[in-house]
Amino acid sequence: MTSTFIRHELKAFWRSKNTGKSIAIRVVMSLVILYLFINLFFLGFFLDKILEKVFKGEDLVMSFCGIILLYYLADLFTRLQLQELPTLRVQPYLQLPIRRNLLVRYLSFTAILSVFNLWPFILFVPFITKIIATDSGPMVSLAFIVALAGLTLFNNYLALFIKRKSNLNGWIFLIAAGVIALIALSDFYWHIFSIRKISYLFFGHLISQPALALLPVLLGALMYYFNFLYLKQNLYLEELSSRKATSYKSSTEFPLLNSFGSVGDLAGNEIKLIIRNKRSRSALIMGLFFLFYGLLFYGKPGPAGSEGFKVFVGMFMTGIFIINYGQFMFSWQASHFDGLLVSGISFTDFLKGKYLLFTIISTCFLFLTTPYIYFGWRTLLIHFIMYLWNIGVNTTMVLFFANRNYKRIDLSKGAAFNWEGVSGNQWILSLPLMVTPFIIYGPFALLGHANIGLAVLALTGIGFILTRGFWIKQLTADFYSKRYKIAEGFRNK
Amino acid sequence: MIEIKNLKKIYSGITVVNVPNLEIRKGESVGLVGNNGAGKTTLFRLMLDLIRAETGEVLINDENVAGHENWKKFTASYLDEGFLIDYLTPEEYFYFIGGLHQQSHAHVDDFLSGLSDFFNGEILKKGKYIRDLSKGNQCKVGVASCLLQNPELLLLDEPFANIDPSTQFRLKSLLKDLNKNKGVTTLISSHDLNHITDVCERILLMEKGVIIKDIATNSSTLNELEAYFGVGQL
Repeated sequence: MTSTFIRHELKAFWRSKNTGKSIAIRVVMSLVILYLFINLFFLGFFLDKILEKVFKGEDLVMSFCGIILLYYLADLFTRLQLQELPTLRVQPYLQLPIRRNLLVRYLSFTAILSVFNLWPFILFVPFITKIIATDSGPMVSLAFIVALAGLTLFNNYLALFIKRKSNLNGWIFLIAAGVIALIALSDFYWHIFSIRKISYLFFGHLISQPALALLPVLLGALMYYFNFLYLKQNLYLEELSSRKATSYKSSTEFPLLNSFGSVGDLAGNEIKLIIRNKRSRSALIMGLFFLFYGLLFYGKPGPAGSEGFKVFVGMFMTGIFIINYGQFMFSWQASHFDGLLVSGISFTDFLKGKYLLFTIISTCFLFLTTPYIYFGWRTLLIHFIMYLWNIGVNTTMVLFFANRNYKRIDLSKGAAFNWEGVSGNQWILSLPLMVTPFIIYGPFALLGHANIGLAVLALTGIGFILTRGFWIKQLTADFYSKRYKIAEGFRNK
Repeated sequence: MIEIKNLKKIYSGITVVNVPNLEIRKGESVGLVGNNGAGKTTLFRLMLDLIRAETGEVLINDENVAGHENWKKFTASYLDEGFLIDYLTPEEYFYFIGGLHQQSHAHVDDFLSGLSDFFNGEILKKGKYIRDLSKGNQCKVGVASCLLQNPELLLLDEPFANIDPSTQFRLKSLLKDLNKNKGVTTLISSHDLNHITDVCERILLMEKGVIIKDIATNSSTLNELEAYFGVGQL
């Protein structure tokens, strides 16, 4: 039976939409994942050098032991947000004559098959083999690996347990996140205790007493058993599904948008789309994170702090939403695209709604970047110029590519590592989006006339804004020649 | 009202709709029946300009649906959940649809209060997004949004399929009322032969994309259809 499950699971993986239907996407996907793993591996491989740098003058093994628990705390936090519950898949088997224990065991077991469980090993095992094995022998390094496995198991099942609980009650997640934050604060801010010391206390002793490695394993096993029992008692659809318990959903309106008539209605609907669906919401939240992008570059010596980078970073910060959300347009509305087509909304209004939406959100982002005034007025001026560029040129560019996007996406899935709806389109689109401002600005800057370059960018942006009517007409004509193909693509689940 | 000329749709070499000639006059109530894969939904989609026809055209009020939009002003349709904006609450959706027809919120509220029987307390003020409603209730939202538009032409694809018996009967009387008293031309598909012969005055029977029977409903129509669908039964 278990082998049948596994075979179904493999089929589910290869046939899932996220895996991507085309070979190209699969190749790119595996390259990206490989890249991440290589990065992680290098981090692990040079962990000794990094630790030497960070904790100067401390014993290497001691600082290594100190960071392990810290890692697991961060790990738990990331898992809470990113790890998927491997549960809905059993639904088709529940009513069949299959023993519950078998199902639950299978469910609990497959929970181990998560990339999260590979991370600690890739990160720490190189260090263990390089340093600890040579210092203290194979027995101790084995003990370390066993202890890591135990802690990983523990974290894995603890995170799943909390996630399951928080599906039933949204507060649980907040409480768990709060507890983790509290632990972190009481270490780094209030200095009540030190996680590093606790971590060293355990892993330091592990060197003299390898048998202690059984302690985390015991913890992991307990957590597994606990999870197993919980699942067995709660093998019901409500508990299994990854849907959050529903609270009362009230109708909302945006009075500000009312003055725009039906265009405002369309923009308002789309704002609701963004806020009420998981994938679009994560696109927005990712955009908010990008607001810190400037901190990485501004004020730094060398090219990173130069004005050319400000143009680039400014474009990202004020326009990340246009890029991030716009690249999947009109797929966001795939599930009701037929309804839009027959509803009598003119495509011109539809496009005007998009422009309005982009303008509103980019304006918000522009306001949010105002604290960067710390780096001088000029920074803000560049942001404003790039804002004009974004709502002028980039919006039009994004909408031009939207007419060439035929892939449906499911809004209820998260955005991280979600490849649904990705096609060659996004790769092609990103090129002109990123490169065009530099084709304009670059030559001027190189010749020492950066100001003229900025002015040309601003004027181009304004020019596009003023000629929106013309672009809308072009896009509409373009859309009418492609509407059947778009609608058909969106119907393909 | 509707005129179809030489309409053909081909998917990977197979003709799924082939209607050389069909006319539906204003005020008619037409039922579309046929087994799965007969091409009913495809025909609806062609009529609504959602898919491109290989040959031929569909005219609504003498206007080709492909490339024109006037017909959308007086045509209301609900084929499947793909017509609903599922992250809105039903109220928001109705206001949106009403707004497209220049109706104020108060007007929409007023209209919806007339449908309270049809909704049976399941739709309004429940604090749910449309995506969280059951399929039957989603169907109610879709049908109600059609009625809200005060259409001259109404297209519904299997409206009886997911709704409860009480609502089925209410929907039937709603449809009859629309057709008889308001002069709305209706085109409805269904697998329920009882309902369809009850509501519609004319039945089109489709098989493999072709309309093989076009009959005015009378007392023997139900038997005739049952004889067709009950292939091989004793």
